[in-house]
Amino acid sequence: MENESFFNAVFQGPLQALFHPINNTIGSIDNVNVWKACAFLLFVLPMLWVWFGLRKEYVNLDAPKEGILYDLRVWTVLAMIPHVFFYLVYGA
Amino acid sequence: MQYSIGDVPAQLTGIDITIVLTYMVGVFILGSFFGRYVNSAGDFFVAGKALPFWAIGMSVVVTDIGATDFIATAGAGYTYGIAAANFDWMGSMPAMVFAAFLFVPYYWRAGVFTIPEFLGRRYNAAVQIIHATIWGIFLIVMLAVMLWLTAQMLNTIVGWDVYVCIWLIVAITGIYTFSGGLNAVVMTDVVQLVIMFIGGIALSVIAVHESGGLMAMQEKILAMPGKEHHMTLLLPQDSGSPYPWSGIIFGLGIVMATGYMAGNQAVVQRTLGARSEWDAKGGMLFAGFLKVFIPLMVIVPGLAAIVLLPPMENGDQAVPTMIREVLPPGLRGLMFAALMAALMSSVDSTLNSATTIWSSDIIAKIRQLLTGKSMPDKTLLIIGRTLTVVFIITAGLGAPLLEGKEAMYNFIQTALSMFQGPVFAILLLGILWRKTTQWGGLAGLVLGVCFTTILNNTDGIFPSDDPFLYVAWWSFVFSIIVTVLVSLVTPQDSDEKVRGMIFGQVMQDGKLQRVLKERANGGE
Repeated sequence: MENESFFNAVFQGPLQALFHPINNTIGSIDNVNVWKACAFLLFVLPMLWVWFGLRKEYVNLDAPKEGILYDLRVWTVLAMIPHVFFYLVYGA
Repeated sequence: MQYSIGDVPAQLTGIDITIVLTYMVGVFILGSFFGRYVNSAGDFFVAGKALPFWAIGMSVVVTDIGATDFIATAGAGYTYGIAAANFDWMGSMPAMVFAAFLFVPYYWRAGVFTIPEFLGRRYNAAVQIIHATIWGIFLIVMLAVMLWLTAQMLNTIVGWDVYVCIWLIVAITGIYTFSGGLNAVVMTDVVQLVIMFIGGIALSVIAVHESGGLMAMQEKILAMPGKEHHMTLLLPQDSGSPYPWSGIIFGLGIVMATGYMAGNQAVVQRTLGARSEWDAKGGMLFAGFLKVFIPLMVIVPGLAAIVLLPPMENGDQAVPTMIREVLPPGLRGLMFAALMAALMSSVDSTLNSATTIWSSDIIAKIRQLLTGKSMPDKTLLIIGRTLTVVFIITAGLGAPLLEGKEAMYNFIQTALSMFQGPVFAILLLGILWRKTTQWGGLAGLVLGVCFTTILNNTDGIFPSDDPFLYVAWWSFVFSIIVTVLVSLVTPQDSDEKVRGMIFGQVMQDGKLQRVLKERANGGE
């Protein structure tokens, strides 16, 4: 309790002045489509990065065999699809 | 049908006890079998670099889910709805992709045992020892906390004596972890994941069936007052839940999840033991896929409890009550085995990671700083095995001291989360930005932890009573800024020091890739 009162006395004022405007700005975004879009980006961007941002040889270095079954770019998409489905149905 | 809530433990029948004993004896024999393959420290700490992707993936998942999480996550599902699933969905898959293709290849090619060792190579010994000491202490305390809370939970569910539960787990997990090291831990984890999935999914299927089916269950929940957000993953900022959408996306999705998957020793150690870089990456992706199913077997019973049970003040009662009231004999034993599996897999992983960090990053590093010599391999193996015994017995003896201090679990979780933002920041900058200096990394880590402590102890800053997601995000941002600023005003590290540690170098330099690969395969 003493710790908390010390931290509150010293830091609460300046931290509130810093963070409350940011909190209020984020809080004013009440469009569920924006929330959903942010969530989708978090899933889609890594997929795009793996497919187009990385060289295929780097992604699949040391793969036991050539072919689609051993292509980790395909694995990335397949592993992402169920997650994307749940956010599509239950997102907001 | 409505069931009752009570404190009467479930009665295990003969078939239940047979299932549980078979499971325990089987895991013990399987784990101990791998002792014959341990001849060096590398065999003990990183399984001789022989793990296939499927074992890595299954082990990563089961390491992440403890018995207490089984209960607490279902409780969160009961109280807050499916938003609790974000921790296994948004809090896993995107982070696992970044971990798989950005962090894991670097740890793997560097041929290191631990995250602190990597930080030591990229930054300096101070960063390594600070990080290792923090993790080393927390892991040991976590062992005791896990043993105590789960023994209490098993006592509540089936009425077994708390001390019998503690020492049974200590004996089984201690012996096979001592004997087989990471190989034993991972291979028993594979069995434990299968048991967990069978038990968990059986409970979910029966619970949903008893609720009248999935759609009927949803409709009944949404028709209840105050539960209109229970079937929604992304919640408004003012929902009163600890999981608002902005915290979930920035705090969980970007910082906590990636920090956990890329910086948690227990998770990363499995990928360091991969038989190839492809298996290390594939293991992380496979783990991400398996994580899809965790909420289906953990949160769904919590949701079904809303329909099937009278209102409860504490959502953590949901799963124990469902096990007792809904499951028939046989499946009750299987679910009990699943809880044991969840506990044992977390205990063995924590134990193995704690011994690895203490052996490699604290004892061996301090010896090297004092004498200038590296620890001989055999000595490192002996120290690792000795510490395994010391730590598990210490945790067993310390567990009863936590009686009445159950809040310790939340405290430890919060304390651990304090380091995720700063550690993730210096990991990310260390790999991506050549100009990050050793002093920038040290300042980012130390000042970042100080900033997190301030945020955690100051009230009224964020729009939530439990603002750990916001704290994770802002401590990450703060540490990035500090690390960059200090790096810009301190002397640059030499090319030789950072060789093989920067993403761009390794991506573009074929010769360097070959050198790193030889080093990872023990060629250095």
